[in-house]
Amino acid sequence: MSNLHLELKQMIIETLDLEDIDTSEIINDEPLFVEGLGLDSIDALEIGLALQKKYGITLKSDSEETRQYFSSINALVELVESHRSK
Amino acid sequence: MAKITPLSHWLTAAPNNIIAVHIDSTRHIDSTVTTEDFLLRVQCWFETLNKHEGSRWALYHSDAFEFLAILFALWQLKRTACTPGDNRPGTLKRLTTHVDGFVGEFPGEAITACDIPEGRSDLKPWRTLMPEFLALEIYTSGSTGEPKPIGKTIAQLEQEIEVLESRWPSLPGSVTLATVSHQHIYGMMFRLLWPFCVGQAFSRQICQYPEDILHQAKPHRSFSLISSPSHLGRLNVSMNWKSLSGHCRYVISSAAPLKREDSLLVSQLLNAQIFEIYGSSETGAIAWRTQQEHHTDALWQPLPKVSLAPDTDGTLCVTSPYLGTANSFSLPDRVEFNRSNQFKLIGRVDRIVKIEGKRVSLTAIEQQLLENTLVKNAKALTVERKRVETAAVIELTSEGWRQLKSHGRKPLIKTLKGILAQHFEAVILPRRWRFVEQLPYNQQGKLPLDILQSMFIDEPVKWPKIIHQQVSDNQLTIQCYIPAELIYFDGHFDNNPILPGITQVHWAEAFGRQLLSVTGSFEGLEAIKFQKVIPPGQQISINLTYDETQNKLRFQYASQNGVHSSGRICFG
Repeated sequence: MSNLHLELKQMIIETLDLEDIDTSEIINDEPLFVEGLGLDSIDALEIGLALQKKYGITLKSDSEETRQYFSSINALVELVESHRSK
Repeated sequence: MAKITPLSHWLTAAPNNIIAVHIDSTRHIDSTVTTEDFLLRVQCWFETLNKHEGSRWALYHSDAFEFLAILFALWQLKRTACTPGDNRPGTLKRLTTHVDGFVGEFPGEAITACDIPEGRSDLKPWRTLMPEFLALEIYTSGSTGEPKPIGKTIAQLEQEIEVLESRWPSLPGSVTLATVSHQHIYGMMFRLLWPFCVGQAFSRQICQYPEDILHQAKPHRSFSLISSPSHLGRLNVSMNWKSLSGHCRYVISSAAPLKREDSLLVSQLLNAQIFEIYGSSETGAIAWRTQQEHHTDALWQPLPKVSLAPDTDGTLCVTSPYLGTANSFSLPDRVEFNRSNQFKLIGRVDRIVKIEGKRVSLTAIEQQLLENTLVKNAKALTVERKRVETAAVIELTSEGWRQLKSHGRKPLIKTLKGILAQHFEAVILPRRWRFVEQLPYNQQGKLPLDILQSMFIDEPVKWPKIIHQQVSDNQLTIQCYIPAELIYFDGHFDNNPILPGITQVHWAEAFGRQLLSVTGSFEGLEAIKFQKVIPPGQQISINLTYDETQNKLRFQYASQNGVHSSGRICFG
């Protein structure tokens, strides 16, 4: 697991004030919403804000694409990395 | 003020308008639908639905335009649209016995598409709808825990639209955007039916993220935004809101009070006025307010034609032209009026709460939990952390304890959340869970909310939660509850946590010094017995007697299961 994976997991736990979850329990390729971690639509808004604050990422104005990036930790890592290489 | 085409006459009048706008996800095509498209679509749904019988139909569709076309087709067939807030399995199951069929985005045996007529058939001669026709049945959380159906006639909907239009006259050519769903009555009125009746186009899609607002608003010279505190409280300030400056006519927020600072911030970002709406599913919109700089929280004032007054019990009594057959309606919100008929909201009188603007009955959460064989007793409450969320305190059955002991908290929480997810939207599900041997009822048989809430405080827990204490000269009785989060349970023992004996002695000494004026230094222990273990969640009575002449403190930990421990602490 890269540092970025861990960093994003910590960001999610902290931002969303999750109880009973530690980083080792968030699986890289498991869905974050509904099944898997079971996050909700408000969590999605919060993660969007946190990505902006921490990495300066503005989500593309397309819910479909955003939904893909929010699908798992791996997808989020990809989003942050692609933003960094710009 | 734009001309209103009432819902009852809309199809016969068919004003030539752009009905809705849509931004394609490829993000290059903006498409619009006109009155002609709408009439064809209504016809298509009419033909399809006409092949089926039944006077009550459940309707769910995420595309606002499609929803509206189905709605009008149902109305033409003199059928009532039953519109649930979501299409979750539990919601469907509950609706099954109430409706004759399902139309829209439902799984199973629903009508999901309409058959496009071959060739172009002539449009129907549409009928005018009767004012008393029961157009809608919506559902809201009732205090019994059961969802409460609320009927709306065409006349009620029309009169509310008239009032809204008189307060906020629309601007033809302006577009209505929304972050809220039209499946709920607030969204349905504000983002769909009202714009539709005044010839203002609405957006077919919801803005899920702040970025979507920016994107959807961009092509339009003028727009208004129908939103809620969940979104307005989380706008990303670093986005290019300036690009919209001068284009936003106003923002409407409802579903829950918007924080003053959020209201002012959004107003500044969008360079627009923010109007908050207060209302309920039962009454529709009844009051509004706008926060002002340099003021404290703005007061609410009634909408035109609505009269509001405090009821004898301090709740709000509503009289309005759109209450249907009722002359007046009392809302379970406590209010305080000033002399100019403005008021502030003080809180609910029942166990209905709003989580991110979604109304939910805590009783309903408890009832669903109790259906399960793992749960013996349940208490749902709200806790305010980073956001206001629901939490649950659970007294488990023996089967529940067995599962907790053998598999741990997480699988158990997952199971319980899974049960609730059948019936409630994700934002409403409890995010924090506590499992106790016994709910901490006090001597009056009540469950004090502050004790329940204290179970969700994160600071390291080092003391029992005191429910009641009684002190006489040299005697002390403390009724308390042993929190499962107590730090002394850590590693003592992993699979079978019990309250350490040394902690019991330490508490006895501390309470003795604090409440019975025990003095002197600790010398030793006498007649110490630890007879029964004290597990997390246990309710216990700590009994202390101070023998001043011998300078000894006698302690006893007891519960309904008998004496757990006893002994004497000697002081020198």
